[in-house]
Amino acid sequence: MTGAPVEAPVELPLEEGAPDVEGFDVTDRPWIVIVWNDPVNLMSYVVFVLQKLFGYSREKATRLMLQVHHDGKAAVAEGTRAKAEADVARLHGHGLWATLEHPS
Amino acid sequence: MSRRFVRKGDVIRVTLSEPERELLRGLPDHLRALYSSDDPDDAVTARLFPRAYLDPTEEAAEREWEALVRPELLREKLAALELVVTALDAAAPGRRGRLVADLGEDDVPAFLGVLNDARLALGTTIGVTDELDLSALDPSDPESGAYVAYGWLTYLQGELIETLLGKMPG
Repeated sequence: MTGAPVEAPVELPLEEGAPDVEGFDVTDRPWIVIVWNDPVNLMSYVVFVLQKLFGYSREKATRLMLQVHHDGKAAVAEGTRAKAEADVARLHGHGLWATLEHPS
Repeated sequence: MSRRFVRKGDVIRVTLSEPERELLRGLPDHLRALYSSDDPDDAVTARLFPRAYLDPTEEAAEREWEALVRPELLREKLAALELVVTALDAAAPGRRGRLVADLGEDDVPAFLGVLNDARLALGTTIGVTDELDLSALDPSDPESGAYVAYGWLTYLQGELIETLLGKMPG
């Protein structure tokens, strides 16, 4: 969706060894945006879209594309439910097969 | 034939034969009809407008998301069709009987989107797989024409992407 607001790429820190778990519950975890493999979208097109929508480097976009190709899917972004929903909409606007999910 | 897409300053110049232009010119009408399908069980509709949630317990969120996103998505897709039609109709005669059109800032994503949606629709209809080998086509197969069209659109889109990636940061 080229007309949609473009959010700056967000790289949330992983919660490795979260120091203070007081009040932490599963709903605090970010939503994950998944891109699924499909036989139609060109590998170069997937790289192009990931660079364009998320501002990723060629290297990062290529790594994610190859993960989609080989593993069948890849987590390409994360954030609040609202952000993940907007990312999925933009990916659909570019013809990629994307969904959002919440790790439980 | 040399490249179809060449960057010329701020525009991308597309050079087509008349039959190529006609093939592309037919895509918007096909896509417009597909976009207006309201059969959610249709495989092509499902591919062009996928669900956002796989989790069936998120059905309420899915419906809310669709109500919010689908009209805007459709509006953008229809606008892209119009841009492609305008650009193709404005194509002017070039050298050796070719037709030449200059694609501006808004035309390029429209072209890319129309090529991609046409390939998604055609690929879904003919059941393209990762192992598709166009060189193994049987010309007597009634679907071979669809495979040839799919292959040509794939080639064309690949060249356009290559042109666009050339200007993106590494």
